[in-house]
Amino acid sequence: MDNGFVLAGIRPLPAPRCEKETWYKGRPVLSFCLFFLIAAGCLFCEAFIPKDPTFMDFYHANTAPNSEFWFGTDTMGRDIFSMIWYGGRISLLIGLLGAGISAFIGILLGAISGLGPEWLDGLLMRFTELFLSIPNLLLVLLLQAFLGEADVWSLSFVIGVTSWTNIAKVVRTEVRQLRGCEYVIAARCAGAGFFRIVFIHLLPNFFASILFMAVMNIRSAVSAEAALSFLGLGLPLEVISWGSMLSLSEQAFLSGLWWLILIPGVFLIMTLLCITNIGNYIRKGKSQTVSPQSPHLR
Amino acid sequence: MIGKKIAAFFFSMFLLSMAVFSVARLAPGDALISYYGDRAERMTAEERVWAEEKLGLRDSLLVQYVRWLENGLKGDFGISYKYKTGVLQVIGNRMENTLLLGGTGFLLIFLGALGLGSICALTENGWMDRWICRVGTISSCIPEFWMALVAILVFAVNLGWLPSSGAYDIGKSEDVPNRILHLILPLSVVVVQHVWYYAYMVRNQLLKELGAEYVLLAKSKGLRKGKILCRHCFPNMIPSYLSLMAISIPHILGGTYLVEAVFSYPGLGTLAYESARYHDYNLLMALCLLSGFVVILCNLAAQMINEKIDPRMKEQTYG
Repeated sequence: MDNGFVLAGIRPLPAPRCEKETWYKGRPVLSFCLFFLIAAGCLFCEAFIPKDPTFMDFYHANTAPNSEFWFGTDTMGRDIFSMIWYGGRISLLIGLLGAGISAFIGILLGAISGLGPEWLDGLLMRFTELFLSIPNLLLVLLLQAFLGEADVWSLSFVIGVTSWTNIAKVVRTEVRQLRGCEYVIAARCAGAGFFRIVFIHLLPNFFASILFMAVMNIRSAVSAEAALSFLGLGLPLEVISWGSMLSLSEQAFLSGLWWLILIPGVFLIMTLLCITNIGNYIRKGKSQTVSPQSPHLR
Repeated sequence: MIGKKIAAFFFSMFLLSMAVFSVARLAPGDALISYYGDRAERMTAEERVWAEEKLGLRDSLLVQYVRWLENGLKGDFGISYKYKTGVLQVIGNRMENTLLLGGTGFLLIFLGALGLGSICALTENGWMDRWICRVGTISSCIPEFWMALVAILVFAVNLGWLPSSGAYDIGKSEDVPNRILHLILPLSVVVVQHVWYYAYMVRNQLLKELGAEYVLLAKSKGLRKGKILCRHCFPNMIPSYLSLMAISIPHILGGTYLVEAVFSYPGLGTLAYESARYHDYNLLMALCLLSGFVVILCNLAAQMINEKIDPRMKEQTYG
């Protein structure tokens, strides 16, 4: 006590609470499960749907939800509960196909632009900006109008062709950063072609940064399909999907059939919400691994 | 610098026109249908040849494109098959409605997002903030057309408060209250759909600003929170927000188009939808060009704002 310091007391600190690390923390478990449930239900719908979704039971048309028709029937007497699962298959298929096509085009154009000469890069990026500049819906309308009668493939194609821009931009930036790497130069020296370099050497490196966008593209493809089919420009009424089910809404208004609008919509939104949550989780996981762990930058 | 911008603008427009034209001509399908509609299918072989000669469809694609462009620059985009008048005339009739809906919607989104974002930033991680963000995530997943459908179902069909379609009742085109009544539903759908995303942007921007040191200084001077926000943070944030809004115009425009089509509101969106449905190609091409024009103009504006804020942007070529 002769050095002049006096111990005045110890400030009581609350005991550090040890938060138990639970595996589900910060993970969209509910979304995963729900999405899995919906997807599995759609995939194996034959096993449990009570009615033939395409059968038109005119005697029971416009029935409100009851014990026989759980979600009611539409104006043509089709059972909505069966249609939901059966049609979800088409909707999800278009979502996956559309996102796949857009990812492929995006990677290809982004890589060409990133690896190619300066003038090609400039031209392609102008082109990308141009694509971004037209409202997507209008572009889809234009393409769809010229392609004529839509089926699942043409619709996925149209959706894919109109939504590759964001992926292309990111891929280009990533490729520019990676193209000077030794392994790329080594591969080039070994005589690897463009496709080999892009898909074998570069893709694994930028895959994480486009995964989020690819997932979000599934979401926008599903909702684009619904919007187009609803407008009568997508799938025809006989091809059951969530969008084409909603295209009966006009009759629904006239006779107050709320279940025609609400039920497919709720399924659509649930699916979109799950995909969004999963996508956000992927983005968060990505930014945690890539960004430097510095408190100043946070 | 300005000259370069204008050149880039014309180049973009040129590319756009080329893209629109080639999609229209190269796509499978009978080009004659775009002029004669279903009648083209009933034509005899001689009639077809005569019609193709007359329309110049036998020339090479490049010649056709140049001719189309020339006429377009003179303001002649051909005749709308469905409306039987000049394309520009048809568009002109509908333009004001879309401008009214889109413009008001845009303004409301702009102001609403600013307000909501500020509330979120001020109550960071409070219940209000969390709820606004949560509602935003959910509403961003609700497809616009479905929200419009539910709005019609609830407010027009079940409650009967508001009209479900059109821009005014028949014979009341000059009646302002009537027009406003018809505007409420589409407008609210457009705003509710988009406002959250921008509010979230504003929130994040503001939070970044609030962490800066000049805010600490202002706080230590004893200024109230609201005053710091209005006087010090907003001026720093507004320019980047403006440029964000300018970039997002195609998004909002697309949304407006869709909502218009659902409400059969007589604007450009409904027109685009109808022209796609009835294969009115001349009209559709002109509409694409027009929307592209507006959007490219806005992008240019955004770029200029960005360069004003941050001169380093000028040197950056792409990305």
